[in-house]
Amino acid sequence: MIPTSYYVLLATAVFCIGVFGVLTRRNALMFLVSVELMLNGANINLVAFSQLHGNLTGQTFGLFTLALAAAEVAVGLGIIMVLARNFEDVDVTEAVTMRW
Amino acid sequence: MVAADFAAAIPLLPFVSFLIAMLGGYFAPRLLPKGGAIPGILALGGSLLLSLWVLADVAGGTYTNEELYAWVVGQDTFSLHFGMLLDPLSALMLVIVSLVAFLVFVHSLGYMNDEGETGLPRYYAGLSLFSFSMLAFVLADNLLMSFVFFELVGLCSWLLIGFWFREDAPASAAKKAFLVTRFGDYFFLVGVVGVLVTFGTANFAGAEAFPTLAEEAIDAGESFAGFGAQTWVTVLGLLVLGGVIGKSAQFPLHTWLPDAMEGPTPVSALIHAATMVAAGVYLVARMYGFYALSPTALSIIALVGGFTALFAATMGLVKREIKQVLAYSTVSQYGYIMLGLGAGGYVAGVFHLTTHAFFKALLFLGAGSVIIAMHHNENMWDMGGLREKMPVTYYTFLAGSLALAGIVPFAGFWSKDEVLYEALVHGLGGSPILLVAYAFGLVAVFFTGFYTFRMVLLTFHGEPRTETAEDPHPVRWNVKFPLVVLGILATVAGLINMVPVQELTGLRVEFLHEWLAVGVEGVTAEHYGTLLHDAAGYTAAELGSLVPALVSLGIALAGAGLAWMLYAGPDPQEHTARLGAIQRLLVHNYYQDEYQVWLATGVTLPLSRVADKFDQGVVDGVVNGVSSASLFSGRRVRRVQSGLVTNYALLLTLSLVALLLFLGLYGGWL
Repeated sequence: MIPTSYYVLLATAVFCIGVFGVLTRRNALMFLVSVELMLNGANINLVAFSQLHGNLTGQTFGLFTLALAAAEVAVGLGIIMVLARNFEDVDVTEAVTMRW
Repeated sequence: MVAADFAAAIPLLPFVSFLIAMLGGYFAPRLLPKGGAIPGILALGGSLLLSLWVLADVAGGTYTNEELYAWVVGQDTFSLHFGMLLDPLSALMLVIVSLVAFLVFVHSLGYMNDEGETGLPRYYAGLSLFSFSMLAFVLADNLLMSFVFFELVGLCSWLLIGFWFREDAPASAAKKAFLVTRFGDYFFLVGVVGVLVTFGTANFAGAEAFPTLAEEAIDAGESFAGFGAQTWVTVLGLLVLGGVIGKSAQFPLHTWLPDAMEGPTPVSALIHAATMVAAGVYLVARMYGFYALSPTALSIIALVGGFTALFAATMGLVKREIKQVLAYSTVSQYGYIMLGLGAGGYVAGVFHLTTHAFFKALLFLGAGSVIIAMHHNENMWDMGGLREKMPVTYYTFLAGSLALAGIVPFAGFWSKDEVLYEALVHGLGGSPILLVAYAFGLVAVFFTGFYTFRMVLLTFHGEPRTETAEDPHPVRWNVKFPLVVLGILATVAGLINMVPVQELTGLRVEFLHEWLAVGVEGVTAEHYGTLLHDAAGYTAAELGSLVPALVSLGIALAGAGLAWMLYAGPDPQEHTARLGAIQRLLVHNYYQDEYQVWLATGVTLPLSRVADKFDQGVVDGVVNGVSSASLFSGRRVRRVQSGLVTNYALLLTLSLVALLLFLGLYGGWL
């Protein structure tokens, strides 16, 4: 049996990679990918603790998260479409008109 | 059916004629008969009849003191309302005001319409609005309502003095009258608020009336705002007196009245002689129960009055224009009324107010007649010899002059004599300060006799000194009729109160004393007599009224005789020029205007400049400093908002890490 701390470490690593992606990438599509990584980091946590405690609530929420992630991607892609149409690019550093 | 049910119509009738004159003059000037004079005459005629009816009812013992309309209803505090108080004093005043206003309207037909003036609807609208305000002021049952109509009266005065606003002098005189009286009214307003806050009511009479409450407070030894009750009553009384001094043209706020002669002469008669100026002293009489509680306020009233009587009389000695002489005589006569009221002679003051209203309106209307005849030349040195040409004007004017000078048996003699008598007996009875005021008044009698007869002799006697005076413009019935009515009244009005005759013959002829002795409880002369004795400490010395009457009559005759000696010849000289420096001082009105202008430009203006500096620099500086500090910091802080979503994410992440570290270090997780 693999100790739970390994799962937690893995989840942290995946989450941090996602955060790193959000902070360093300029391409909005890569943002979506990174956010997906962060969500999955959280999913690993849910499933790992579900296994540790022996009930299925965590796994159920894992499934919810997947559905949520799908919805998020749909909305996100829509936003990126609009972004591309207005700025003819998907570089997030271009879209800075909503400030003072 | 009682008159009180219709009393509200007394002021409302002129208000209707004001609306007719104003709207008619604006929309259909051709349809307005005589430029609005006819509606005005009808309205004032109606008011006069109603006033006489009220007078008859009051004589029958029916008094009214009721609230008509509450315009602010207080929850657990005082309410503000309009109401009316019909008692002997207000009934008497109603008749005086509506009678004089009615006659002035008739006279205006001759002075304005026949002379082809333009802007008549505006003129008659102003006169009607003035009559409305004054009548409502007289009816007022509380101090706040008095204040409201006091101000309206002032507004109308501004409108009418500045009737010929296209010329500089009337416009500036109107402004001056407005500002000077407003200065006094400022204190009045503070006084009204003070009365309301202290007593919770501003009613003149009734169970809850501020003079009664003040009396109870003094008896109970209460204190207000850290002052004893009597001190506080004095303070409030003096604040209200500020308005009185402004409106009744008492020293030092008298300077507006002579300038106000720039207005049309009927206006001078109505406003600056018989009624508006009367509003001030009427207010003192109305709340006499309040003043009677404070010997200090009474002596100030008496001193101001006595001093003004003398001060104004001396200035009247050297004036060249007929209306200027009358203006200073008005100021002087109101000084006498104040002296009477301040000396504890409530009835005497009201008496002189009554007779003065008649004879001064008469003199002004007579002057108006002379001015029409002289083609609007007011200089007495251009007149002379008008006696044969205009006998009606001459004899009525003479009656008014005899009344003004105080020659027996004309109206002014009885009332002025009683004023002086009251000052003398109360002065001898233990209030020596009144003797000073009495001395002022007595000396002024001499000057009054002198300037009055100088005016009469220069205007009507001798040889005509100009071509206009040789062939004066004739006047019509509408000028003569008011003169005759007022001439009769100026001759006989004194008969309502002949104290010396009563003493001499034992006949009961003190009608005014009996008239004012009764009325609504708490506002009767009888009650005031008790108050004066108990609260103000006024005691009347045992002194017959005959000798003082003879003394003041003798002095008046001496003044008149001196004028006769100097000016009676066919070709009089300017004798006052021999007074030298004194004459210069008098012609310049003791440099009162100059010093008041200096007060405004030399003292108030620099002070307000300093205040302005403080306001601009310190007050605005703090506000501006606060705003520029926030502007500056805002400009710095907004750089955080770069618009880059990555930066926001970084901030979020770093903040979360920082928060976790903080909680970890201080929360004991690590």
